[in-house]
Parts: sequence; C-alpha cells; structure tokens
Amino acid sequence: MDPGFRRLSLPASLNSLQAFLEFAHTGADAAGLAAADRDQLDLVLEELLVNVARYAYQPGAGDVELAYAVEAGKLLVQIVDKGRIFNPLEKEEPDLRGNLENLPVGGLGIFLFRHLVDSPSYRREQDCNIVSFRFPRPDLLGT
Amino acid sequence: MQIEPTQLDKAVLLKVIGRMDAESAPEFEQACERSIAQGARHLIAELSGLQYVSSMGLRSFLTVAQKLKSQNGSLSLCGLQGLPRQVFEMTKLIGLFPVYQSTDEAIAKL
Repeated sequence: MDPGFRRLSLPASLNSLQAFLEFAHTGADAAGLAAADRDQLDLVLEELLVNVARYAYQPGAGDVELAYAVEAGKLLVQIVDKGRIFNPLEKEEPDLRGNLENLPVGGLGIFLFRHLVDSPSYRREQDCNIVSFRFPRPDLLGT
Repeated sequence: MQIEPTQLDKAVLLKVIGRMDAESAPEFEQACERSIAQGARHLIAELSGLQYVSSMGLRSFLTVAQKLKSQNGSLSLCGLQGLPRQVFEMTKLIGLFPVYQSTDEAIAKL
C-alpha cells in the first residue's frame, strides 16, 4: 500500500466502532470534510465494520483494520479483514420497490455504502478481504 | 440518542434526538414496542433532532411500521432532514411511510 496511510487494527466487534469512527475523524479533519460529509463517512464505515463484526469470523473472532490516506481534500479508505470471502460489490441490490409487507430485511447497509462512496473496489489478497473507496463522492459533496 | 414519548389523543408522539446507529436502534424499537403494548396504534416519530441514521435504524423503522400496519395502525415520520432524509430517499423507503413536515400536520391526518 502507498506510504502515507494511517492504520488502526481492532477486534471486529460493535465495541470497536466508536474508536474506528474517532480515528476516521482525524482523517476527515485533515481532509477538511464538512460536518455533513463526516456523518456520511460515519454511516459508510458503520455499515462496513458492522458487517465484518457480524459475519466475517462467525462463529470465531478476529481483527479488522481501517486505514486511510488524505489526498487533495479526499480520503482514500481501506478496510481489511481476514474472514470468510465477502465481496460487497457483488451482492445483489435489495429490491426496495415493494410494500411494507414484503420488503427484504438485509442488504440495506451495503446498498448505502455503494451509493455514498466514490470508486468502491474489492480484492481478495493473501486470505484478506480488502475493500477500498474514495470519499466523498464529488456529486454528493456537502449534501 | 434520546427518545421523549408524549401521549396524545389518538397517537403517541416520539421525539427522537441524536444518532440512531447499530447500537442505539434497538432502543427506538423498544420504545415503540412499549407504546404499542400500552395500546397505541398510531405512532408519530418527530425527527427534526435526528442527526444520523444507519441501516440498523432504517430496519427498526420498518419493523415498527410493519407491526403497526398489521394492526391497522401507522408510523408517521415528521421533520426528516439532513442525512436521515437523504438515507430514506436514497433507499426509496421514504415512500413507505406517511411523511409530514410537522407533527401538527401528522396529527391532523390521523
């Protein structure tokens, strides 16, 4: 990975979420993100990290790493886990056209991640899931 | 996240303030469940103080709305703004709820 990335590795659990968000805020400040963009960033990170916490290592446990670099007012973000293979970009989008009775329960978090970030990508490397993206999306800036 | 319930004539008003995330979303669901258990059929969520909602929060809104609908009730949303409005619109879930600018408007429609 490029130098200039800051990294934080913690157990993949809901209890780590707050520490990850605070770590990411340092990056958001360095990139000069507006408050509205920071909330969007929190949302994207929550969706991805909660997903890793819930599914990556079940029934066991493991760590997840959040890394970011600041580049021209944007954040490059990477989330790495060593859990089971999961490509969030391949997951089918939930069908949200239904009515209350027949809505799909899952998939909303991944849907939000895909729609709120710029250039999302996934690769599997040395038994790791590596999800990368840029933030914010230029067309959603400050919305 | 803070939830302030107020009993009205035909509904219970739940003022939700702060951030509804993976950790706090169940609290909203439980607050709604309590009102439903006490006989409420119409809930009005006042969301002008809601700063943040993630997919777990969306799921809680849906679960409560489904439950109320099956009992001929409703969950109305008022004062949606900022990121929560963006998230409800982006997922198109906004179309599944009665949405109002103000609680007065929501009460008048009951």
